[in-house]
Amino acid sequence: MMSGRDLVSRAAPLLACLGLLGLWEIAALVLSTDSFPTAWVAIRAIPSILGDKESLINILDSLRRMAIGFAVGVIVSIPLGLMMGRSRLVASFFNPLLMVTYPVPKAALMPIIMLWLGVGDLAKTLVIFLGVSLPVIYHSFQGAKAVEEKMLWSGAAGNILFNSLDMGQYDTVYAMIIIIGAMGIGLDAAFENLRGKLVKWSEPSFEIPLSFA
Amino acid sequence: MKVAPSRPNIEDELAPARRQTNAMIAIDNVSHVFRTSGRQDHLALSNISLIIEDGAFVAILGPSGCGKSTLLYVVGGFVSPTEGLARVKGQAITGPGPDRGPVFQEFALFPWKSVLGNVMYGPRQQGVKSAEAEAQSRALIEMVGLKGFEHFYPKELSGGMKQRVALARTLAYHPAVLLMDEPFGALDAHTRTRLQNDLLNIWERDRKTVLFVTHSVDEAVFLSDRVVVMTRSPGRIKEVVEIDLPRPRRRSELLLDPRYQKYVVEIERMIDDTSEEQLRP
Repeated sequence: MMSGRDLVSRAAPLLACLGLLGLWEIAALVLSTDSFPTAWVAIRAIPSILGDKESLINILDSLRRMAIGFAVGVIVSIPLGLMMGRSRLVASFFNPLLMVTYPVPKAALMPIIMLWLGVGDLAKTLVIFLGVSLPVIYHSFQGAKAVEEKMLWSGAAGNILFNSLDMGQYDTVYAMIIIIGAMGIGLDAAFENLRGKLVKWSEPSFEIPLSFA
Repeated sequence: MKVAPSRPNIEDELAPARRQTNAMIAIDNVSHVFRTSGRQDHLALSNISLIIEDGAFVAILGPSGCGKSTLLYVVGGFVSPTEGLARVKGQAITGPGPDRGPVFQEFALFPWKSVLGNVMYGPRQQGVKSAEAEAQSRALIEMVGLKGFEHFYPKELSGGMKQRVALARTLAYHPAVLLMDEPFGALDAHTRTRLQNDLLNIWERDRKTVLFVTHSVDEAVFLSDRVVVMTRSPGRIKEVVEIDLPRPRRRSELLLDPRYQKYVVEIERMIDDTSEEQLRP
């Protein structure tokens, strides 16, 4: 049996969503301008968007960009962050760059990126990539740095994998790069496939070399 | 900074010939300097030479900061000495390896693995099949007295239990040498005594070579065949004391044995002397 308390804590995220929608509803009613519809009106518009082939194509395009930006971001960031955490040299090289870029809102970089790369998929994917990679680099860096030295030593002694003192577990790192890369490509293919099934009439886009149907 | 000039090898004067031929660990003129930016370089070890034969239980004793842990880390391959060389079974030590198993004061268990997972780590890394590694690990867990705790996580265990897991984890990959760095230093007196007894029982069964760093004189005399007394800053070997007490040792008998008491008093005096030297300007 679930106690009332458990039930409330399970339902908390749902309650938060409902609360937010409620506030939206009230705010829209109070303001009552054309450009700010009520939550209910907005929700009722969802089925028509999901039924519309144009919107579906656009949504899937966005999802694909997200998947690619995320996958590439993770592939680059996790190994880089881990290496920064384990090697002082790598850290002192990348850390200043990271610290300078980190606080800049990614949206503020949008105009510059648009100037460089135009408004195509590449620019959008790059923004997603930046948004993903900076926090991931930072947190893998901090995480790797915080690992207790004695624990690494304990691992190293019982292990044939680390043989040198720099603890470079490079074979695993590169294996992970390949695995995550494969996941990224696989996800992209899956999205493309799903898109092909849902919206058969649209042509697959080849703007980004990674995507294939 | 210049390392102090070498001096006669203490071990040569003291070691019987059998020790030379049967050496498990040979530390040859090892010095280590910690380079710190800003502050002066710190000479942690100065010209340490020591030979430890196969199956010996050797304690390294000294005041804190005398470099005794650093010496252990050199043998472990975790620290490369600035000068000199350490060998295990005649092979120069260049890094950590499964032939030398460390047990640290901080336990350093893998928090994301259960007791069983921690103990199975070594055998699994060495390619032992899962079922076999599990059977071996369960037997070891029972040996260190933790039967029934196989699926507990480190955070759910007491300090003494964690150290038992750490010992089992290290024994699981059959190291030729156990490197124990103040393993019972973080435990309360009662737990400490129990673990000392259990360690002796385990050791008397398979007689692995043990290098045991401690600052407790009682512990060193109770456990070891030989006590290496170190001085502080720079860390040198002051004296090597052979502990000629019968085994198996029982705490209740040993504490009443005048020979044991004599060793303790003698060694305590040596350490006091080194502290006196330390205080002189």
